[in-house]
Amino acid sequence: MFSSPTVRVSFLFVAIALVALVFADVAITAANPWKDLGRFFMGIVTPDFFSSEGVALALLRTVAFAFVGVALGGLCGFVLSLVYRNPAVRMFCAFIRAIHELFWALIFLQFFGFHPLTGVLAIAIPYAGIFAKVYSEIFEEADPTPGRLLPPGTGVVSAFLYTRIPDCWVQLRTYTAYRLECGLRSSAILGFVGLPTLGFFLESAFSQGHYSEAGAMLILFYVLIATMPLWVKPKLLPVYILGAPFFLGEGLPIVWGNVERFFTQDIIPSPLRNGEGMGGLMPWLGDVMATEALPGIWNTLVLTQIALVATGLIALLTFPLISNHFGGPVRRTGGHIFLVIARSTPEYILAYILLQLWGPSMLPAVVALALHNGGIIGHLIGRQSSAIDLRPDAATGFNRYTYELVPRVYRAFLAFLFYRWEIIMRETAILGILGIYTLGFYVDSAIQNIQFDRAMMLILVTALLNIGVDALGRFIRKKLALQTMPTC
Amino acid sequence: MSGFDLSGLTASFGGERVIGPLSLQVKEGERVALVGKSGAGKSTLISLIHQHVGGTSSLVPQDLGLVNALPVFHNVYMGQLDAHPTWYNTLTLMRPFSKDSAAVRALLKDLSMPEKIWMPTASLSGGQRQRVAIARAVFRKAGLLLADEPVSALDGPMSHLVMDLMSKRFPTSVVALHDVELALQYCTRIVGIQDGQIALDEYSERLTSADITPLY
Amino acid sequence: MALNIIRKLAAASAMLFACSAAVSAQTLVFTAIPDEDETKLVERFRGIADYLSENLDVDVRYIPVKSYAAAVSAFRNNQVQLAWFGGLSGVQARSLVPGSEAIAQGVEDQAFYSHIIAHKSTGLNEAEDLPEALRGKTFTFGSKGSTSGRLIPEYYIREAFNEAPDDVFSRVGFSGNHTRTLRLVEAGTYEVGAINFSVWDKETKDGNVDTDAVKVIWTTPSYPNYQWSIRGDADERFGEGFTDRVQQALLNMKDEELLNSFPRSGFIPVSNDAYAPIEAVGKQIGIID
Repeated sequence: MFSSPTVRVSFLFVAIALVALVFADVAITAANPWKDLGRFFMGIVTPDFFSSEGVALALLRTVAFAFVGVALGGLCGFVLSLVYRNPAVRMFCAFIRAIHELFWALIFLQFFGFHPLTGVLAIAIPYAGIFAKVYSEIFEEADPTPGRLLPPGTGVVSAFLYTRIPDCWVQLRTYTAYRLECGLRSSAILGFVGLPTLGFFLESAFSQGHYSEAGAMLILFYVLIATMPLWVKPKLLPVYILGAPFFLGEGLPIVWGNVERFFTQDIIPSPLRNGEGMGGLMPWLGDVMATEALPGIWNTLVLTQIALVATGLIALLTFPLISNHFGGPVRRTGGHIFLVIARSTPEYILAYILLQLWGPSMLPAVVALALHNGGIIGHLIGRQSSAIDLRPDAATGFNRYTYELVPRVYRAFLAFLFYRWEIIMRETAILGILGIYTLGFYVDSAIQNIQFDRAMMLILVTALLNIGVDALGRFIRKKLALQTMPTC
Repeated sequence: MSGFDLSGLTASFGGERVIGPLSLQVKEGERVALVGKSGAGKSTLISLIHQHVGGTSSLVPQDLGLVNALPVFHNVYMGQLDAHPTWYNTLTLMRPFSKDSAAVRALLKDLSMPEKIWMPTASLSGGQRQRVAIARAVFRKAGLLLADEPVSALDGPMSHLVMDLMSKRFPTSVVALHDVELALQYCTRIVGIQDGQIALDEYSERLTSADITPLY
Repeated sequence: MALNIIRKLAAASAMLFACSAAVSAQTLVFTAIPDEDETKLVERFRGIADYLSENLDVDVRYIPVKSYAAAVSAFRNNQVQLAWFGGLSGVQARSLVPGSEAIAQGVEDQAFYSHIIAHKSTGLNEAEDLPEALRGKTFTFGSKGSTSGRLIPEYYIREAFNEAPDDVFSRVGFSGNHTRTLRLVEAGTYEVGAINFSVWDKETKDGNVDTDAVKVIWTTPSYPNYQWSIRGDADERFGEGFTDRVQQALLNMKDEELLNSFPRSGFIPVSNDAYAPIEAVGKQIGIID
């Protein structure tokens, strides 16, 4: 078995995670974690839909920010995808998508303040980078023959419209719709930093222990996502996209002088700003690296590696729940509901909830990341496994799982896992804002101390770390010849 | 000018030579059939010729190169994208002009499939798809036709109809065919390919099917 | 149907524009650091907004924020002109906005203090000095930018142990606000925490604290804290003498219910200089550059 490179790589990552576990801070520190969890579930089953006047408005705003952000990101991403061959464009896109929506929001909050533009750009910018990459991949995979058969004088635009767009249309549409779902999640968590979306109210309800109110908001959010096929219709899209900007709320007016100040003063490292010159910069940089960046990177890496393996375990354990080859329709429906909830809940919200219930450590973060990402991968390979035709006399039960199914889906499973490696790391960094000592913790601290130069430095470090892991993930997928479709 | 004179044609695949070096001259008005067993290099030769003569020819490749997501009309109309400005093409993509649809319908009628004009290409049978690719080549109105097994999926009467149409619409053509009878009936010259070389080159009227059989 | 939706959208957007035009005419916007549960804050500061708009003849609007830094940024970015800051956030904000002034503080804010509270499982009792037994316990501050929940307690912890809190305690967290610190220590999630006396007293008085589970084990010396700060360009924007009128309105506040919601017995004048000690401590700990 160890002769197979995929198995060897898997065990290598499990070993890394086990070593990381030694260094990780994993504990339940709450005195009564199960009592609190019980109260939370009671809240979910006794939702209070009418407690807060803001909930309906928050949902509307969540949808509006998602639509505007994704539409703008999609448009820019589409344009960028046309010139994606250019290495400079490629690098630019890799950079903007390596910075999480919440970090973008924290940046824009410092000079746009609570203006709707903050939320819109926080979604649109990283999404543009992701759209550019995925769209260009879709275009590359289109059949090139029709394009070669065109008469030589055909214009570039005509050729593109006739031979590329129709061929890629279904994929473009599917992916964009899928991204819209991701956009709803992104939009919801922006509330945690103060924008008027669902997260704002969820955080308030939770922190005050109003579990029934929080439960109602979560349920409404699931319903919103689960019913997307019903209310997101191609014909209604223009109405949504044109209408959404009017439902972002008015926020507070932008003072443009703040923008200039932010870029010309706030983010300039303080020794340079104070005229100490290069001589003062090195000690400053050294201090940021030693006291914040390095501990942040270490904790981010430790947590990411543990969460990655935990995600894999959850995916492998849960995919049989929805596979045709196991259980009856009742079990499968239950499995579907479980996986829908797991993957619809943003890991940030899951981590927030678990942190409140279990107390601060890496454990809530690991569980949140594993549940969300494992739910996504479990859903995908579960669906894939249902498409496998087994011989009529194939083994049943556990033997069927180990001999027939896992070997067949394992490559796809690994492909998804390594694809999500970078996504897990991006989220891990962000979870620091909740108080786990990953890079986000230090970014948030710097912002709380009004030290934006430090914050920007740390965000830059985070972006580079993500780009590095993304490249490593791609390298491993290439080495193992794993192919995958994009997920978010 | 729809004939060509090419020499020193070679092609290699994975370091192994599959074609040539060989020379081929085709005069205007000639209809050449490329025959030989599969793997002899007919398809490679067709694409080699296409690379050299480029845009002055209409190509029907073996895999047809249709845009499956578009209806038959647009796949045929694509043959004339260069004849119209971009805005016209864009509008046509959303709502075709009646004169274009009339022209395409007439052409499809000659291929006895006018009712399929608005069908998505993906939903057609293999033979219908082949005829759409041929319609696109005809609509292109180039002087030279390069076609790789254009009637392989058509039944007897239909393949005669299509061969007849092609010989009428194109003054000059080079068509790879595995059906020797069709080659003798519709082409003026037979070129036999064996192991990447020209093994036979003769006017059709001087040949019978028995002369060609050794190539297979 | 689509047409109907568009018509509704058009109407709604026209209304929105009308509203935002009215808002931007002459509105004093203020915020406050989110040091307690949001519901309480919204209730308290909506009352203040109504009170101020009655007394100042301008529209006054309160916006809630999610962090201390967001309050400071909003003040700095001129998206709010007035703010209820803590000692530290006030110093930070005023150093970023030239000409801005502290205009009023609560009577209690002249000599404010913080408690260190502990869960019963620690077995700690109230003492004169910070007990050595705190070492190795888990500890939570309030918000990272809080004066009474972080700055001052951290200062005294460093003084007593000669080490950073990270080295003294086995785990250091930031709960976010005082109410949450209280809940976390009460539940034993953290063994020890820092909370300001004002929230502690009010919650105890209201019967919201399980005094069997959590108790005060130490109290800091006093220091100046919360204050109302106003931007230096307020007069320019709202007319000559506006700053003085805001100050007078705050000082004249006699409504029991409003004052109790803080809770403060009344407001008194204050100046920027009163917060010099806070600034010194902030610099010493490295929170202020």
